[in-house]
Amino acid sequence: MFIGTEKLTHIYMPGTPFANQALKEVTFELSRGEFALVIGPSGSGKSTLIQHLNGLLRPSSGKVFFEGRAIGSDKAELLALRKRVGLVFQMPEEQFFSETVYDEIAFAPRNLGFEENIVQTMVEEALDEVGLDTTVLPKRHPFQLSSGQKRLVALASVLSSKPEVFILDEPTAGLDPSGRSNLYGLLKRLNRENGLTVLICTHHLDEAAALTDTVLVLQGGRLVLKGPAEKIFSHREQLYQLGLGLPAVTEIMYGLSEQGMKVRTNIYSLEGARQEINKLKGRCEK
Amino acid sequence: MSRSITLGQYFPGQSLVHHLNPRMKLLSLLLVLALLFSLQSYAGLVVLFFIALILITTTRVPFRYFLRGLRPILYIALFALIIYFFFTSGGVVLLRVGFITVESEGVREGTFIILRLVTLVFYSLLLTLTTTPLSLTYGLSYFLKPLRYIGMPTEEVAMIMAIALRFIPTLMEESQRLMRAQVSRGADFESGSIFRRAKSLVPLIVPLFVGAFRRADELALAMEARGYRIGARRTRMYEDSIAPRDWLILAVLLVLLITSVYLGF
Repeated sequence: MFIGTEKLTHIYMPGTPFANQALKEVTFELSRGEFALVIGPSGSGKSTLIQHLNGLLRPSSGKVFFEGRAIGSDKAELLALRKRVGLVFQMPEEQFFSETVYDEIAFAPRNLGFEENIVQTMVEEALDEVGLDTTVLPKRHPFQLSSGQKRLVALASVLSSKPEVFILDEPTAGLDPSGRSNLYGLLKRLNRENGLTVLICTHHLDEAAALTDTVLVLQGGRLVLKGPAEKIFSHREQLYQLGLGLPAVTEIMYGLSEQGMKVRTNIYSLEGARQEINKLKGRCEK
Repeated sequence: MSRSITLGQYFPGQSLVHHLNPRMKLLSLLLVLALLFSLQSYAGLVVLFFIALILITTTRVPFRYFLRGLRPILYIALFALIIYFFFTSGGVVLLRVGFITVESEGVREGTFIILRLVTLVFYSLLLTLTTTPLSLTYGLSYFLKPLRYIGMPTEEVAMIMAIALRFIPTLMEESQRLMRAQVSRGADFESGSIFRRAKSLVPLIVPLFVGAFRRADELALAMEARGYRIGARRTRMYEDSIAPRDWLILAVLLVLLITSVYLGF
């Protein structure tokens, strides 16, 4: 087991009238290099779940595993864990506090106790990884950047500590379409080329679905569905009942199929849809 | 998430005390406090104390919340007890250690003072535990209204207080979120020297301020868009009504107060 949970339950403010059970016996595991998606309606426990994976929240009961070992409460161990499991919060640019992009990205490596010359290479590599300029940009004030650039800097500020697992909460919230596709391009590269295990929480399946290996579906704190993307997305009715739906391209394929055309419905990317429709066209012309 | 933070001391419930009009509750508390200090006899105090206990049971607020409320007065109470026990003379000598004596009059007066303090705290907690901070603010601002005639912007002050209250949970949630975000980037808010710890707060305070100012801007814009103007007369979404029972409680308390003052009870 690379990373996962076993019967993870979390209760906010236990023992008060405001007690709120956010997670109920959630069990799942991911292998190294997987691209996973956590979906579920608002308030279903997605954010609570991912905050357990790098030890920010402690389970009320149950366990969280990383590399087969249960996450404990030892401080040094937790710091080491947070280096290896990077977590990007929702709207991460709101956490900026430094006067330069450089300092912002250097925050994590400095906290981990690296020497300044090593920190510098780590910052440059992180900027390079997210595809940002490493000459002028590091000296600029983070608030001067465009929203897409800010988001990339926020990602770089977590990538700078060289995590093996990269967890993102609604990474595309508030981005324009080009920012969104740019970001998913980056995530794809990190996963496929650099071998990072990626876990994303999102409502927006359009860009994410085509990249995904595993899907976890949360509802009211319970893990109601988990498995390979293809299997989960075939539960169309159930996903609709949860208020989730499918990627737009998949919907189109379902629509075509309902019209009596012979197309596959397990299509999650524009490219796949284009190929499938071309095939259909070819058959019609024959 | 927003439900996960307790605001003030309010403990939700459906009891009679919860449903009393907040303005009248405030007035009633004032009368009870006056009564507590005018009472001279043990009997009256004990009756008031038991009424407090009965009211506490009806609210269904766990008793430990009331005990917790006593903590701040613990030392004052202990101090008063020692002073009264050892330095008040009169009555029978109960205990003699060297030249220090504990006499019955001292014990009597000491216990009286403590019981009065505890009852006072219980009644105050009955108000704050059963009333939302927002209705408390509106209740207070109602009594401040006359100050308007000497040029105090009472409506605006009430608005400021209400907005401040409304944003306390938001800012607490925000600071928690920021703290977690920075901790997950390896920040440490707990260890190190005072200087280091103060420095480690920068990554928390800067974004918190930036966020607060952004929110304030957005709120001001939204309020203006809905026609908010300083000095304009405003009506309220929920007009609170004063039920006969509110008047009844107030009347009973007044009668009790007057009798206790006149008869020296």
